[in-house]
Amino acid sequence: MSSLSPAPSIDYKALVQDDRIHASLYTDPRIFDDEMERIFRRGWVFVGHDSEIPGAGDFVTRRIGTEPVIMVRGTDGAVAVFVNRCMHRGTMVCPADRGHARTFTCPYHGWTYDVSGALLGVPYPGGYTAFDKSTHGLARAPRVSSYRGFVFASLSPTGIPLSEHLGSATKLFDRSCDLSPAGAVELTAGWVKHHCAANWKALPENDSDGYHLGFVHRALFSTVRTQYQRVVGEEKAIKAVVRDWGNGHMEIDWSPGYQGPFEWLGGASGSAVTEFVAALERRDGTDLARRRILEGPAHALIFPNLFLGETNIAIVEPLGVEECVHWHTPMFLKGVPEFNSRLLRMAEAGMGPASFLMPEDLTVAARNQLGLHARTVAWLELGRGLNRERVDAEGRTVSHVTDETTNRALWRHYRTVMTEA
Amino acid sequence: MLSDTEYRAVVEFVYREARLADEARYAEWLALWTDDGVYWMPATTDPGADPDKHISHIYDNRGRLETRIKLLQTGYRYSQEPASLMRRLVSNIEAAPADNGELVVESNFALAELAIQAKREMHWWVGRTTHRLRRVGGELKMCRKKVVLVNAAEPLPNLAFLI
Ligand code: FES
Ligand SMILES: [Fe+2]
Repeated sequence: MSSLSPAPSIDYKALVQDDRIHASLYTDPRIFDDEMERIFRRGWVFVGHDSEIPGAGDFVTRRIGTEPVIMVRGTDGAVAVFVNRCMHRGTMVCPADRGHARTFTCPYHGWTYDVSGALLGVPYPGGYTAFDKSTHGLARAPRVSSYRGFVFASLSPTGIPLSEHLGSATKLFDRSCDLSPAGAVELTAGWVKHHCAANWKALPENDSDGYHLGFVHRALFSTVRTQYQRVVGEEKAIKAVVRDWGNGHMEIDWSPGYQGPFEWLGGASGSAVTEFVAALERRDGTDLARRRILEGPAHALIFPNLFLGETNIAIVEPLGVEECVHWHTPMFLKGVPEFNSRLLRMAEAGMGPASFLMPEDLTVAARNQLGLHARTVAWLELGRGLNRERVDAEGRTVSHVTDETTNRALWRHYRTVMTEA
Repeated sequence: MLSDTEYRAVVEFVYREARLADEARYAEWLALWTDDGVYWMPATTDPGADPDKHISHIYDNRGRLETRIKLLQTGYRYSQEPASLMRRLVSNIEAAPADNGELVVESNFALAELAIQAKREMHWWVGRTTHRLRRVGGELKMCRKKVVLVNAAEPLPNLAFLI
């Protein structure tokens, strides 16, 4: 993606200020190319989940930034991420979204690789002298690591480990995964891909924006009762908060506004629920189990491309400077099938092109993108809540749910990544 | 085999349903449904898709269908405010009786949508529809509508109109 002549260097410190950012961050193709290199190639990027490829040879294809990759489970059970590009002359090796393979054969001249990326054979080898197959295996993401089944990769051989990138934000994964009595989530329902005519950063910013709900989603809130009702209305009565977890990770925490269990589901009862709660209590004890079902799953953005979206998991896929895709799937809780059918229907209600929430978000995102072409006024104000943020005992900045603490968390980390040596 | 009169009634129903959807005539469109209606749009072209296991773009029962319509009627459904300008061509209509006296109607459609809410883009939607029709008090109603887009599994722009 990088252009042939080096771009005149972009002054990210000037463009990203503490309380405002410049519109070109959403419109300049050179900045997009920089981001693909610095954020998506050098950093840790979410690729997929263990449960998507349970058996040896199971694979999914994804992109890390704009680089096509295959995430596959090897015969040893380990997950590897390969660049989806033939080592001969560059053809994409695997065009399928997902599947099961024993080998990957390039359609152009028939070079064949196994699921560990090794080159098995080259047709008509007489055309080469001393061809070394061992140096022509599929290129591999040099670093692959996972947390609770969420697989991340980095295309850079060096850098901080995943544990350092996630930092204390692992607790956000725990909050979601520990809702399962088996301690795991399963992403097995398939993905819906929602095209968005805006810069990719609009998605993490919007997914963590607690200010827009009553406006963008007015149609839904004026029609049916939802779990978000408690965050619209009188400013002082709203108890939900936003929180900065560092390294660009941030969340909306609705739970301070919840008064009873399962409000994040819009309520729940019946024998399946009783059994579910009993299973959590057996594992965690009564107090912790009660707290889990009161607080519900995380609503958090893991920099740069993963959204732990309460009962959904979403991926942010950049396509170009003004185009991206929001992928989502319901976050099934292992061990509670009765719940999962409900989570499936909730995913369809909230997320995706025909749902009741996201079409409004992406319409406004597209209008935001159009407005950002103006240069008479070129700055976006991000100072909301600076007057009332506080730092909690664990060093995280917390503020009213409508405050731009989440945007500032993202952009502060962005500036660091975009300016470090 | 359907009689000519029956086939004609089916074709008229399918055309009328398409026109009401094109023209955002929400209440009249909703009135075409039975109370046990299911409106399904899979997120895959796989004919084995199971809506109880795999995510769909739309899987509405009557209650959710009514919510869908109410949202559109609030004036604040910004993804359809103002409503897209649309015309669809419906063709290749084949109809057959089902065992229980209902009719199964299959057809193809091509829909041009001018999405005027943001970028004013023309979107093309192409797919196959299966209607299941039932006579209620002498009138045809739909109790099931399944729409499979040729690009159901690809990234799709907003689809908040009636398809
Ligand atoms: S490009 Fe793959 S075999 Fe030639
Ligand atoms: Fe939203």
